[in-house]
Amino acid sequence: MKISELIKDKNFEKVYIVDDAINIKNGYIGDLLSEIMRNAPGESVWLTHQTHPNIIAVASIVEINTIIIPEGFEFESETIKKAKENNINLLKSRCNIFKAAGIIYTKLIEE
Amino acid sequence: MTPESNKLLEKISQFFSNIRIGEIMTSPAIVVTPETSIKQVKNIMKIKKISGLPVVKRGLKLTGIISIEDIIKVLENGKLEDSVERWMTKDVKILYEENTLSDFMSISQKYKFGRYPVINNENKVIGIITKYDVISWLFEKLGTMYIHDDRRKKILEREEYTSRLTGELLDNKKISFDFDIDYTEIQRIGTGATKLKSFLKKKGIDEKLIRKVSISTYEAEANVVIHSESYGKIFCWDFEDSIRLLIKDYGKGIENVEMAMQEGFSTASEEVRSQGFGAGMGLPNMKRFSDKMTIISEVGKGVIIEMLFYK
Repeated sequence: MKISELIKDKNFEKVYIVDDAINIKNGYIGDLLSEIMRNAPGESVWLTHQTHPNIIAVASIVEINTIIIPEGFEFESETIKKAKENNINLLKSRCNIFKAAGIIYTKLIEE
Repeated sequence: MTPESNKLLEKISQFFSNIRIGEIMTSPAIVVTPETSIKQVKNIMKIKKISGLPVVKRGLKLTGIISIEDIIKVLENGKLEDSVERWMTKDVKILYEENTLSDFMSISQKYKFGRYPVINNENKVIGIITKYDVISWLFEKLGTMYIHDDRRKKILEREEYTSRLTGELLDNKKISFDFDIDYTEIQRIGTGATKLKSFLKKKGIDEKLIRKVSISTYEAEANVVIHSESYGKIFCWDFEDSIRLLIKDYGKGIENVEMAMQEGFSTASEEVRSQGFGAGMGLPNMKRFSDKMTIISEVGKGVIIEMLFYK
């Protein structure tokens, strides 16, 4: 699934997009950074409640290409700056993390 | 204590024979005055789970020792209302704060008492030492000791490094990548790991290997920033058959390496945890993603982590 498809969905809002043709093949959810690094697959989207700049380093290390935070959360400005430096897409969801995951999962399965 | 455990204690103690009693003793000691009743002493022993107490006069001056053996004598021939003075042992064998572990070994060989009051140079009772104190001190010492003291000291102070994993000399001049870890800002965690990642990528190293190396570096870097209270360094050697990593800091060290290696164990603060760090998976992740790993640490002398990744 291309990022453009997520942006088209009204449940997601773009914060920073490197390139909307980037492909998402998989996904992972979690807030413990070590656990993310251990288990998250590459070329994936990561749903998390963490919004601080360290998530960008974690994402780029394991080649997560997109980070999505749920409703009610905001990325710190330093996080957005680092996302630009490291070519990581940032999205906000208008729903909670469970529903957001469900929507993405369904789209990936349908492919 | 059995003869076997005495023997073992004797053997291990040889390595530490110059350690001062002051470092090992339980301090302060629980003491009583000569006027105290045997009944009160019995209660103190029961509550504090101890089997003997130094008896002191004003100014913590030693005048005797009262032990469970004395209490038994009271039960047989005396009254619980009697004063300690009447039943205490007056000829007390003592050790000075400045005495060493080997002094403890010889005095306890000679007299077979369970406990010895420890006295400072003003003749005050400042502690008590039993075989139990020695054993628990030794266990704690051995627990953090992966290499013998002298050799470790060399490693921690030297700039070149002999691999603990392969024995070869990791030459400073052949370092492929190095990075100074800034520990003052938690936000900077991962800067070294991401830089190393792009460096390895440029060299055309296998993607899966890069992932393993970068995750391990990230974890080590996070530990330096979160725990060490000191700056640190990342060194990477790109060898023909392997990638070698050395991450060192000069900070407070790890008190108990074995415990720190356990999944889920962390001493991170609540604030750090709320940011997703301190899950107690850092060292286990390094162990998992590297092919070989070792930690050298001592309290107050920093941490050195060496990892090897086969190509």
